Amino acid sequence: MLLLAAIAVLAAVPWFGSDVLIQFGINALLLAVLAQGWNVIGGYAGYASFGNSVFYGLGSYGVAIAMAQWQLPFGGGLLFGAALAAVFAVLIGIPVLRLRGHYFAIATLALAQVMAAIVSNVKLAGRNVGLVLPPLNNDPLFYELSLLLLVLATLTVYWLTRSRFGFGLIAIRENEEGAAVMGVNTTLYKTVAFAISGVFSALAGGIHAYWVTFIDPESAFDIGLNVKMIIMAVFGGPGTVFGPVVGALSLSALSELLSSEITSLAGLFFGVVVVVAVVVMPRGLADVLRRFRCMGWRYFAENIRSHQL
Amino acid sequence: MDLLAQVLVNGMLLGGLYAVMALGLALVWGVLNIVNLAHGAFIMLGGYLSWYLYTYAGIDPFLGLPLTAVVMFAVGYGVQRGLLNLIVRAPMFNTLLVTFGIEVVLTYLAQLAFSADFRTINPSYVGDSIALGTVVLPVSRLLAFGIAILLTVSMWLFLLRTRLGRAIRATAQNLVAARLYGVEPRHLYAMTFGIGIALAGAAGGLYGTVSQINPYIGAALTAKSFAISIIGGLDNPLGVIVGGLFLGILESLTALYIGSTFSDVASFGVLVLVLIVRPTGLLGKAA
Repeated sequence: MLLLAAIAVLAAVPWFGSDVLIQFGINALLLAVLAQGWNVIGGYAGYASFGNSVFYGLGSYGVAIAMAQWQLPFGGGLLFGAALAAVFAVLIGIPVLRLRGHYFAIATLALAQVMAAIVSNVKLAGRNVGLVLPPLNNDPLFYELSLLLLVLATLTVYWLTRSRFGFGLIAIRENEEGAAVMGVNTTLYKTVAFAISGVFSALAGGIHAYWVTFIDPESAFDIGLNVKMIIMAVFGGPGTVFGPVVGALSLSALSELLSSEITSLAGLFFGVVVVVAVVVMPRGLADVLRRFRCMGWRYFAENIRSHQL
Repeated sequence: MDLLAQVLVNGMLLGGLYAVMALGLALVWGVLNIVNLAHGAFIMLGGYLSWYLYTYAGIDPFLGLPLTAVVMFAVGYGVQRGLLNLIVRAPMFNTLLVTFGIEVVLTYLAQLAFSADFRTINPSYVGDSIALGTVVLPVSRLLAFGIAILLTVSMWLFLLRTRLGRAIRATAQNLVAARLYGVEPRHLYAMTFGIGIALAGAAGGLYGTVSQINPYIGAALTAKSFAISIIGGLDNPLGVIVGGLFLGILESLTALYIGSTFSDVASFGVLVLVLIVRPTGLLGKAA
């Protein structure tokens, strides 16, 4: 009930909010979608993907190429971008998902660099100049689309917590050999999780591309964006249904506040917040909310004690 | 043919510098199991330190390297002791995020303190070069290369021969057993991180003599250091030389034959290949 009310309030924002609020909302919601998408592969399957910004870029380029080069409608572009991301997730996932831990993280980190360099040499994608999309000046529409996408992503993650597939992913995260012994087809599960994660990132990228009406390789395959989604998911609580959403919305709000109050120091404070947050609440806001009530301030001391040398 | 020889030599000289850049990252990663995303930012700080020493105190950038390294060691020791020791047993994401946070903080502080201008360390002999047949060897690059190799080899001997080096290797292999033999892990971890950052600082000083320093170079240098550590493997500092030379030569060759925009594609393509085919590095032991 509370949840439906929250969604209704969020959905009503375009009717009473200012333009600035709506624009902030689109950004924050899209970041929440990215964090939620990352949650599937990073939070549930336990594979710290730094490659989700590749899917985001593919989604952006899918929409841009479809609309600017082939004159297709926006929906067709979104589908094309999502299909690109899914195919790429399978092709790349099969070799790369064999790697574990840091190695997986870094192999995927390399992907974004490679893709940016490749795309800046493809004529269809406008080389390193980028592509300009037909403008559509309708922020409320983009806002509602973003919100819809976030609801879909969250429902998908909710489904993970109740389905055989989701349990399989959690088993992989906790002990991959064990999961395989219990009959989980780990390669299939990981690849599908990677693809789901990729499709949501691509859809967010597609909406963003049409909204800002311009993309270039630098911004489409930005590693910083990938780091952002990880920070937001971990800040909120990876491997939980609402953690990434709460993390993304609260961190977006914080960074917006900081940059309007003290412009030059905003980035600095963001870094400090990340460091402090990870040290005192390593399992994210979701865990703080759950356990702070019974443990009080001891909770933070306990976190430090259990992870220090 | 002359061009090819020159390009190979340039790549090799660049590769030596790459090796020392990656050395500190590989050490911290191999021993503490922390992938230090702030490594490049520490290289950047070392570069600025060296620049200030040269510009305001007139200390030659190569002779001033020990001073830079000592200061950076103190910084690294403090960061590990005061902050990173608090989270070394947390999951991998958390150490990645904390070091990323440090990177952000250092970049912003550098931007505030040093402005976004490019800085280059230009001692008087920077334009000099030695001609070897048709191949030209710039003196400063040659010096940077020599020092890089010297540092890497001394690091190897240090880990192999000295008491502290043995303690570091023992900790990397088995923390509990090392503790039973009287290793104080908090101090040792901080020493290791300090050495890693000192090497980063020295690499920054060398980098400043052959290239330009600005507050934003950190992330790209971290990524390169990663690639080199993986290509070379984490077991052995000499692997880093192989990784560095390999990457330096590969980048120069791609720039010559395919185009400079592809040099990153080539290096990261090789990185992904090595990860898939030989995850312990070219020289590493079989997994």
